[in-house]
Amino acid sequence: MATEERTKEILGELSKAVYEFEEDDAVKWAKIALDEGVDPFVATMDGLAAGMIKAGEAYNNKEYFVPELLMCADALYAGLDLLKPAIEASGREATVKGSIVLGVVEGDVHDIGKNLVKMMFEVAGWNVYDLGKDVPLDKFVEEQIRTNSEVVGLSALMTTSMLAMPEVIKRIRAKNPKVRIMIGGAPINPEVAEKYGADGYAKTASTAVDEAINLLKMLKEEELGK
Amino acid sequence: MAKRKGTMTDRERIEALLRREKPDRVPNWPAMAFGFCTLYYGGTIADAYSKPDVLLAAERKACQDFDWVFYPLMAFPASLSTEFGGDIKLPSGDFAQAPMVTRFAVETEEDVWNLKMPDVKTTGSAPMMMEFCKLSSQEWLDNEPFNVMSWMGGPFTCAAQICGIEKMSRWTIKKPEVAHRLLRLTVDYYIELAKYWKETFGTEGVLPFYGEPAAANQIISPKQFEQFAMPYIKEINEALLAMGYKHIFVHICGEHNLNLPYWAQIPFGDPGIVSIGHEVELATAAKYFPNDIIFGNLEPAIIQVRTPEEVYEATRKNIEDGKKIPQGYILSPGCELPPRAPVENVMAMTRAVNDFGWYE
Repeated sequence: MATEERTKEILGELSKAVYEFEEDDAVKWAKIALDEGVDPFVATMDGLAAGMIKAGEAYNNKEYFVPELLMCADALYAGLDLLKPAIEASGREATVKGSIVLGVVEGDVHDIGKNLVKMMFEVAGWNVYDLGKDVPLDKFVEEQIRTNSEVVGLSALMTTSMLAMPEVIKRIRAKNPKVRIMIGGAPINPEVAEKYGADGYAKTASTAVDEAINLLKMLKEEELGK
Repeated sequence: MAKRKGTMTDRERIEALLRREKPDRVPNWPAMAFGFCTLYYGGTIADAYSKPDVLLAAERKACQDFDWVFYPLMAFPASLSTEFGGDIKLPSGDFAQAPMVTRFAVETEEDVWNLKMPDVKTTGSAPMMMEFCKLSSQEWLDNEPFNVMSWMGGPFTCAAQICGIEKMSRWTIKKPEVAHRLLRLTVDYYIELAKYWKETFGTEGVLPFYGEPAAANQIISPKQFEQFAMPYIKEINEALLAMGYKHIFVHICGEHNLNLPYWAQIPFGDPGIVSIGHEVELATAAKYFPNDIIFGNLEPAIIQVRTPEEVYEATRKNIEDGKKIPQGYILSPGCELPPRAPVENVMAMTRAVNDFGWYE
C-alpha cells in the first residue's frame, strides 16, 4: 500500500504525464498506481484530471493550442483505460457533478471545439452525452429528455449553422423550461447568446465547464427558492 | 443619402489601388459570397458548389444589385479532399453552409506515404472550377478587375482536408514527417494547378486566391505556423510570382494575430491583397503588410444577426478605420458573407459605402 508521500509522487507523475502528453508514462504510472494500491478514483481525479486541468489553463494562456490539448487528451485516455475498469470493479460510485448533452448543430461538422469541451467536462466529473456533429434539431430535445440532463451545450462554427441554435433552444424550452442551455463556437459571442435566448456562453473549452457550473448553481438556487 | 455617382468604375478603383493610387471611393468587395449569391438569385447554396453557370450568373447579378466589385469566384472549402480520394457532400437543408467532407482520403500514416499526386486537370473540383473560369473569362465588365480566379491553397488547411484537422494536429507534434509529407503533396499540387491555369488563361487578369483558416491560432500555435504553414505558403507564393502572376489575394481567416510576424515574411506580389478576419484589427494588418492592400473586415455575424442600422454603423466605423490605411483598403466582410444574411443588412453595407466611402 503506497504511503502518503508515495501516493503524492504517483499522482504528480500521472498529472505530469498528461500535461506533457507522454502517453506511455500515463500508462506506466496508472499501472504503478494500481499495483501500489492507490485508489483508482483518486488517481484519475487528482492525477490524470489534474494534469488535464493544468493543460486547459495553458490553453487559456495561449501556451498550449489544439494539437497540445489533443495530445494531452490522448495521454489522459490512455491512463483512464487502465483506471476506469478498476473504478468500476471497486463498486465506488463516482460523484457526478452534473449531466450535459453536447453536440454540433445541424449543418455543421466542425467538431474539434466540441470534442475538447467534452473532454473538459468528463475530466471535471460530469456525465457527457455526446451527440456528435450535424445533429438534427430534435435530437437535442430527445436526448435531453432521455438523459434528464441539466445542461445542453450547442456548438457551431458557421454563420449559417448558428441559425439552428435559437430554434433548438426554443424546442428544448417548450419541453423543459428548466434546462440550462449554453452555446459556443467561432461566430458566437455573449451578445449573440443573449439574442438567441441561451443561458450561457463559452468562449473556450476550459471556460465551458466553469460556465456550466455557474448555470447549475443558478438552477439549484432557483429550485431552493421555490 | 442619395446614391452618389463616382468618377471611376470598380475596375478602375481596384486598378488604381494596384498602382498604389487612391481611388475615388472605397471599393465594396465581398469576395466570398457564394451561397448568398445563389440564394439571392433564387437557387440553393449547393448550386454555388456544383453549377458553374448558375454561380456566375448569381454573382454577376448580386454584384450589380449591391454595387459590389465583381470578381467571379468559385471556391471549394473542402479543397483537396476529393482530389486525393476522399468524399464530400454538398450543403442541403436550412443550416448547412458549405461542402462537408464525409470520408477523408487518408486514415493512417501508411495511407499518407502511399498517396499519389492526382491529375490536376481531371480530379476533384478542378474540372468544375476550370469550367467556371472558362465561362468567366468570356467577359470582362466595368465592375470586374479580374475575370479569372484560381484557388491556389492554403496548404495547411488543404492538407488537413486530406486527413482531418484532428489527425493533422496530432501529427504536427507526434509525427511531423507525416504532416510535412502531406504539406509537400499539397504544395506540389497547387503549383501544378497554377501552371495549368497559366497555360489556359495566361496571367493577365488572373488573380490567385486562397484562405488558411486551419492555420489560425484558434487551432495551432505561432510556432506550428512557422514550421508547418509559413514555409509552404511562401513556396506557393514565390512559385506563383515567378510564373508571372502579379498579385496574390490571400484570406487570413480567423484569429491569426500571433502568426502575423510570419505572414509578414511571405510575398504577395506588388502589391498583394491581404484579407483579414474581424479578429485582426485593420491598423494591425496595415502595420504588418505595409506594401499590400488591406481587405476586410466586418464581422460576418454582425451582418447576419444585427439590425440594418447596426450593420450600417459597423460598416461606417470599418470604413473610417480603413480609409486611414495609406497602402489601400477594400471593404469586405471578414470572412464569407453569411448565405442567409438579410438582404436589408447587405444593402446597409452598400448604403454606408455610398455615404462614407468617398475620398474627398
